Amino acid sequence: MLRTITDALRARRDLKGWTVRHVASREAQVYGVPSTIEASRGVDQERYLVSVLRETPGPDGRPSCGSGEATLLPGGDLRAALETAALTAGLVHNPPYSLPGPATFPQVRLADESLSRDLGGAAESLIVRLYATAADHPQVRLSAAECYVTEEHTHLVNSRGIDVEQTATRVDIEGVLLARADGRETESFFMLSRRRAADLELPAEMSRQAQYAQDLLRAGPAPTFAGPIVLRGAALAELLMPAESQAGPLQILGSAASKYNKITSWERGKTILRKKSQGDPVTLWVTSRLPFGQHAGRFDEEGLPSRRVEFVREGKLVNFIAGQRHAEYLGIPATGAFGDIQAPAGKTPVAELTRGKHVEIVTFSWFNPDPVTAEFATEIRLGYLVDGRKRIPFKGGLFIGNVLDALANIRWSAETGFFGHYQGPVAARIAGLRVAGEAAA
Amino acid sequence: MSTLELPEAMAALRPKLGAYVEKIERAAPYGAALLSAQSAMQIRVDNREEQVSELAPTAGTVLTAFDGNTVRERSVNGFDPKAVTSGLDELLGGASFTAGRPVDPGPERKGDFVTPMQVPPASLTTAEKLERCRELHRRLKDRDPRIVNARVSYTEMGEHKVFCNRAADLAQHLQRVRLFVFLMVSGGDGVQYDWAQKSARGGWEMLTFSDAELQRVVDQALALLTAERIDPGEYSVVAAPGVAGTICHESFGHGVETDMFLKERARAVEYVGRRVGSDLVHIWDDPSLPGSLGGYFFDDEGMLAAPTHIVDAGIFRQGITDMYSATALRLPRTPNGRRQDFSRKAYARMTATFFGPGKSTFDELVGGVDHGIYLQKWDSGMEDPQGWGIQVTCHYGREIRGGRVTDRVFSPIAMTGFVPDVLQSISAVGNDLQIDSGTCGKGHKEYVSNSAGGPHLLLKARLG
Repeated sequence: MLRTITDALRARRDLKGWTVRHVASREAQVYGVPSTIEASRGVDQERYLVSVLRETPGPDGRPSCGSGEATLLPGGDLRAALETAALTAGLVHNPPYSLPGPATFPQVRLADESLSRDLGGAAESLIVRLYATAADHPQVRLSAAECYVTEEHTHLVNSRGIDVEQTATRVDIEGVLLARADGRETESFFMLSRRRAADLELPAEMSRQAQYAQDLLRAGPAPTFAGPIVLRGAALAELLMPAESQAGPLQILGSAASKYNKITSWERGKTILRKKSQGDPVTLWVTSRLPFGQHAGRFDEEGLPSRRVEFVREGKLVNFIAGQRHAEYLGIPATGAFGDIQAPAGKTPVAELTRGKHVEIVTFSWFNPDPVTAEFATEIRLGYLVDGRKRIPFKGGLFIGNVLDALANIRWSAETGFFGHYQGPVAARIAGLRVAGEAAA
Repeated sequence: MSTLELPEAMAALRPKLGAYVEKIERAAPYGAALLSAQSAMQIRVDNREEQVSELAPTAGTVLTAFDGNTVRERSVNGFDPKAVTSGLDELLGGASFTAGRPVDPGPERKGDFVTPMQVPPASLTTAEKLERCRELHRRLKDRDPRIVNARVSYTEMGEHKVFCNRAADLAQHLQRVRLFVFLMVSGGDGVQYDWAQKSARGGWEMLTFSDAELQRVVDQALALLTAERIDPGEYSVVAAPGVAGTICHESFGHGVETDMFLKERARAVEYVGRRVGSDLVHIWDDPSLPGSLGGYFFDDEGMLAAPTHIVDAGIFRQGITDMYSATALRLPRTPNGRRQDFSRKAYARMTATFFGPGKSTFDELVGGVDHGIYLQKWDSGMEDPQGWGIQVTCHYGREIRGGRVTDRVFSPIAMTGFVPDVLQSISAVGNDLQIDSGTCGKGHKEYVSNSAGGPHLLLKARLG
């Protein structure tokens, strides 16, 4: 089918270029509820995503460029789909741009063969392991779990000679741990997405979540607190990049599309911070080459090869993250789509970062900063007021501040870890933010 | 009403579904088949570029076998009878079904349904739709020299569905449309923005913006250039209908999805028949609400759309169910079994969830507040059914001082609270029901179109 589509596209004289992606996926899904398996599902999907580029005169008579898209599902009408895509491309008028050309595509580790061999078996065995690992913590019980195991193969061909393929796996897990005491019940909910099963680190995750569920039982109201705030693990990763999307402030403000559309005032070589840095330097890399990274790949949807891009060095923007079109418009390198985030290790051990009175936040209800202003006010699902050996859990209250101000006052841990879409320090201590609670600290 | 026209391959497969269901029910107590095709296109016009794109379509067949204990499903790509037959063999081969709780296939029902529209998107060419977006963009972009970008974004989403079990043979075409205007302005200290949207289950007749509405977006975006952060604390709050809808959605929407009862994740299970809000509080979920983005004629498990009265004068009456949770918990079925698409399972999901209207005017609500906040524009929300907390993030709110809304703007504002406390604090309900629309996830996945709304509400809440 792919050959038929590319032959049909090559035969057209009205197109400046085209790209076809053939995406085929298989997925196994298992859902557990208390005492039984609620559902087990098998899913196959296949599609051909066609994008065409046409050059036509714009309303002012100057050359303009437009793209059109069509997706062919099994049994779809190829001729009609290509006509629609070409017609649409002719309606749209943008400054001319081109498609990515041939390149060297790196080998990036994306697939876990232990999952690919038997998706259904892998999903069932992961659910069994989840329940077994939870059973190691008798103070809590796993009341619900979901496990998806997916293998996706992508073959991309374009009119400039790119012909490249990749196979990736992914495992998504959700779990709910309940703790009960004195007629009160609390839950710790967790979601993990990784490309290989080993990176789930289930025993460690389960221990952490079991502790959270129990700590919530004795959690009091949030304190009102202005002082050092420590973010750990997934909470720190969320500050840099929301786990479930790529639309956080760094992703929006650092994109070439935002620059072209005047949504961001960031400039290359200039600081991204709103205040003078009083913490460690902020250096961030954006990479789609991180082995088994959540956004890793050999190439992106346009066909640009994956890269490791220096994004921010010591608080200053080095590169906008740019697709082919906006890179050409701005005259900057095309980096490919936003990938995962890497940050170098800091100099301070976690033990030192967590000295003195501070608040530590481990989970938010939803860390959802404004993507343009970077301001946030987010509810704390579980935090601790820490003072020496005292570690008092609390729930509720608002964590208030601005992501860019947080980065201007951050100290990174020397210890590093991998969190699927983020690799870097496992903890950070931030000054200048506050928790608005109901109780005095 | 127009006649339903299904995609050719879907129409060809529909007559075979009864036989598939029969075959499933030779092995399992309950069988069903769902055909689902979704397609969507988006037009975007900015100051410096424009785009017409297709949002990834899906089309597939879901074969369901259920024994009262475990649902087994095979989701097959497309509507090819050979692939579906092969999927059916895979579903039944090697699966063992036990006799679990009885599964109710529902009453006998048949029908084909089409979204009523005056100007169906299909009646306009892509060129005409693009030109309408350009025209709206022209009306917006030059209203103030501080505008750095104006964006018009149009999305149309079409769904065809066929559902079959031993009692039901149903088909529907749902047409949903959304039109956004989004405005970026620049002041000395940075960029700010505001937006407005029109959305409906319907056609282009629902998507008109008046000049006054466009000017309001401009004025509000400019006002945000001098917005302050609010002092955290408890406030008297007047919630705009969109904010009220988000409160309702996150509290007695997600909190009463009965699959959460089954997973022991919902505190609401302890409150059936008990008071959860003031006498003024009525909450409904209604997929049959005309024109609502989240509505439909029947759900993905073949239940015909009908309203569910969730909270009646402050008393929690019943939750919303999917087939599995209703069967397992022996609850009445409601028409809320929804899938993101054919590749996902059905969960109990909201459709159009809203507070019922009261008798107060907006001026009466605001007039009763000496010092408080008018929460004007919602941005997002997050549920916590087990802890029974809510987080509603608002793009902005305005100060109320001496019974009047002032020009002092705060942004962003998060509202948090314990659900019964928030609902008990509702002391007046407006007479101006409005339904807003968006997209709803189950946690951070399983996204479906959704509506929520209400009248203006007067309540107490913690803001920060």
